[in-house]
Amino acid sequence: MTGEVSRTALGRVFLRSLFLQAAWNPRGMQNIGFADAIAPALDELYPASPARAAATVRHLEFFNCHPYLAAAILGGAVRLEERVARGEAEAESVSAFKRALGPPFAALGDGFFWLALRPAAALAAALTAPALGLGCVLVFLGLYNSVHLAARLWLFSAGYRRGEEIVGSVGSAHLASGTGLLKACGAVLAGAIGARTALFAGTPLRTLVSGATIVTAALFLPRLKSIWAVYIALLLGLALGGGFF
Amino acid sequence: MLPLPQLLWLAAIAAMASGVAAVDRKGALQLMLSRPIVLAPVLGALLGDGRGGLMLGVPLELLFLGGVNLGGSIPDNEALLAGALTSMVVPAGLAGHGVDAPLAALGLALLIPLSVVGRSLERSSEHRNAQLAEQAVARAAAGDAGAARLNLLGLALPFGGTAAICAACVLASPLLALLQRGLPDRLASGLGAGWHVVWALAAASAIRAIRDPRAPALAAVTAAAVVALFLLLRGMP
Repeated sequence: MTGEVSRTALGRVFLRSLFLQAAWNPRGMQNIGFADAIAPALDELYPASPARAAATVRHLEFFNCHPYLAAAILGGAVRLEERVARGEAEAESVSAFKRALGPPFAALGDGFFWLALRPAAALAAALTAPALGLGCVLVFLGLYNSVHLAARLWLFSAGYRRGEEIVGSVGSAHLASGTGLLKACGAVLAGAIGARTALFAGTPLRTLVSGATIVTAALFLPRLKSIWAVYIALLLGLALGGGFF
Repeated sequence: MLPLPQLLWLAAIAAMASGVAAVDRKGALQLMLSRPIVLAPVLGALLGDGRGGLMLGVPLELLFLGGVNLGGSIPDNEALLAGALTSMVVPAGLAGHGVDAPLAALGLALLIPLSVVGRSLERSSEHRNAQLAEQAVARAAAGDAGAARLNLLGLALPFGGTAAICAACVLASPLLALLQRGLPDRLASGLGAGWHVVWALAAASAIRAIRDPRAPALAAVTAAAVVALFLLLRGMP
């Protein structure tokens, strides 16, 4: 045993990290997913079954992070497990590392990927849909996944290379400033879609109704409950288009 | 009406594609194959009408753009709704004159509650996953180093539940086609107008989905600029 994980095992750990949330649960959150992802590394570091099972128990503790940013923690945890296997660190240091980085990385990932990149990519695709047709699907998947997959690979690799120093690498990735920029782009795209929706509604009355609906809903509904909002919209359409009321 | 063997074939396709999307939504990969703007056009194309799927997917995407799965929160299930709506509306359109605004609005009125049903499905799945987690901890504590492989079993319920619902929607599509054919002209015209109002609501939802204090102002300025440009271009000889 050299106390180092092979490239093949690292590749398997990364692939399994793509299933981190397969058994997401309210109690342990991503605990089984994390333990499953790191298993190929543990197999090499702890050939004896009891030691491997003990390490698995350690990784079945509570863990929660953004699923993409968790790749950095997973890479770092593999590095720390190597040190534990060589007797250079305490097993508790791996748990402490995961506990310390999970929440801040979760906040960073939620803000960048869920609240900025995904809306911006989706709005860009929606805006291009009339011109590109089904090609807008590729716009969305291309914009989103070129960033997402590259980030996941880089985070895992940086986590493994830098171990506990990964915080510095993630900090220098400017995710927070990128979040603001993407949100601004999203707002501009959303405004353009709103204008297009009203302008191309078909008739002057529909243009007026569309514009009024957009302004009213955007201004006065603090949180749109989708079901009721949709039913109200359909009823409004029935009233105006069918002349029922 | 489509012949039964064709309906069964389309139901199998819808089940497989929607099931894969349901798994991608949270449990695996998260390549965003489950987003309405992807799932509806792709499933529509697989069922025989990609443009019809796109017509459904874009407003649904905007409507659910703000739904985010943060920590333990469970947002409305846009993937189940997109899969089910496409599975029912596209085959109904194939049996008639294609997907149009009244058909889309009728389908949405019938199926929008599925976005909430999807939340219940997700909650059940999480409950089942908690049991898997307990089993994994117990097995690992007893010396089973491979206990964490139970992880992948967590994908079964989202896949199976979504696949079954979407297959059922394909099989129920002749009823939707029948309902549409029986609509009085005024009701059909009203539903068509309703679809346009849903589009406007979706655009407003998209503006609200950008959680940034600058967003409403930026969106308003852009919208005003686009309208001004449009009027300017229309006024040109």
